[in-house]
Amino acid sequence: MTTLKIILTGLVLFSMSLALHAKEIRTIETDEADVEVRIFPADGNVLLLGFPCDEGKSIAEEKTANSLANDGIEVWMPDLLSGFMLPKVRSSLVEISTDTLTAIIEEASKTGKQVFLIASGPDTELILRAASQWEADGNKLLSGAILMFPRLFKEEPVPGKVPEYIDAVGETKLPIMLLEGGRTPNRWGLKTLSEALQKSGSKVTSKVIPKVRGYFFKRQDANRSEDVVTSQMAGLIKVSIFYLEGKNIHD
Amino acid sequence: MIKRLLVTVILISMSGILQAANLKAVDGKVAAPSLVLQDLQGKQHDLKDYKGKVVLVQFWATYCAPCRKEMPSMNKMIKAMGDVPFKILAVDMGETKEEVEQFVSEVKPKFTVLMDEDGKSIADWRVFAAPSNFIIDPQGNIRYTLFGGVEWDSAELIEKLKAVGQI
Repeated sequence: MTTLKIILTGLVLFSMSLALHAKEIRTIETDEADVEVRIFPADGNVLLLGFPCDEGKSIAEEKTANSLANDGIEVWMPDLLSGFMLPKVRSSLVEISTDTLTAIIEEASKTGKQVFLIASGPDTELILRAASQWEADGNKLLSGAILMFPRLFKEEPVPGKVPEYIDAVGETKLPIMLLEGGRTPNRWGLKTLSEALQKSGSKVTSKVIPKVRGYFFKRQDANRSEDVVTSQMAGLIKVSIFYLEGKNIHD
Repeated sequence: MIKRLLVTVILISMSGILQAANLKAVDGKVAAPSLVLQDLQGKQHDLKDYKGKVVLVQFWATYCAPCRKEMPSMNKMIKAMGDVPFKILAVDMGETKEEVEQFVSEVKPKFTVLMDEDGKSIADWRVFAAPSNFIIDPQGNIRYTLFGGVEWDSAELIEKLKAVGQI
């Protein structure tokens, strides 16, 4: 029994040391804010740049980032809210300057890896805003973006009317993967959102993840399906990157 | 002077209530799209068959917390509508019969629940969120829409819906 305890403790400490080794903190200085970026380094040629607006508290995202890094995908997670000293509320998003976002993309691009962007919920607005500015500045098109349960309505949707989306929708050519939960009304808006995103020439693919609600990996009341999908989120992201790479190859 | 103040206060508080209900009037005559779906017992319902009644068409889902919360008030509104011919058609958004039946056994709606497993009517009616509500007049036109959960048996809402039935 004691031996088993020692082995288990050893395993836990070993896995913790692996996790600690994996993460680096780097500060990117921009004109408007110094942004701390959690970096999960990897040797592969893919870099996933995420914009989680959660004041650095993204537990599920960190586990996923570790898993992706172990599979050769480098992950960068800038802590934008802390950088701009903003509260964790939706209205904070407009306070995050586009120049800072593109400055972080520029740093990521300097690695020479293929850069993919990822965000969830209303934070997906940051991706679209940053990507369109990046392209308008004459930079090379990034490799793609993953928008998890995007919440991009300009206002509350009026029943019977096609919703209006925020201005950043339909402004980028970036290949986009939309991931939406099967147990959210937003899944019924995927076609309309895809069409709006395609207006600027973006190739958009959408997938519905069955039996999960939006924000499934942030939920306190997650059900079994949501726990399972959260534990397999790295795989979901890898498949999405695979799809997006395909969009680039065939162009 | 006091009278004027009181009237102003009453008007402001009334406008607040109406705003809270968030009923959006539809401009002009907009005919309701087709709605032909089966209920949980397999009986087919066609919205056209309810001409002559005020109809609340609601799109909802079991995972939608505001939908669950407002359903008891929808039960009460049936009685509150009194003599006005009235029908509720609550369209579930793309779930399985098993999921909906479990919900129904807990919440016990006294109105018609329709199934739309492939989401066709959701597209036809341009629904992007839940709960999404449409108030249909006795001639089959959409008179109001409403997004979000409300207390359906509130006096203000009932008064508006009764007025729809009197046109």
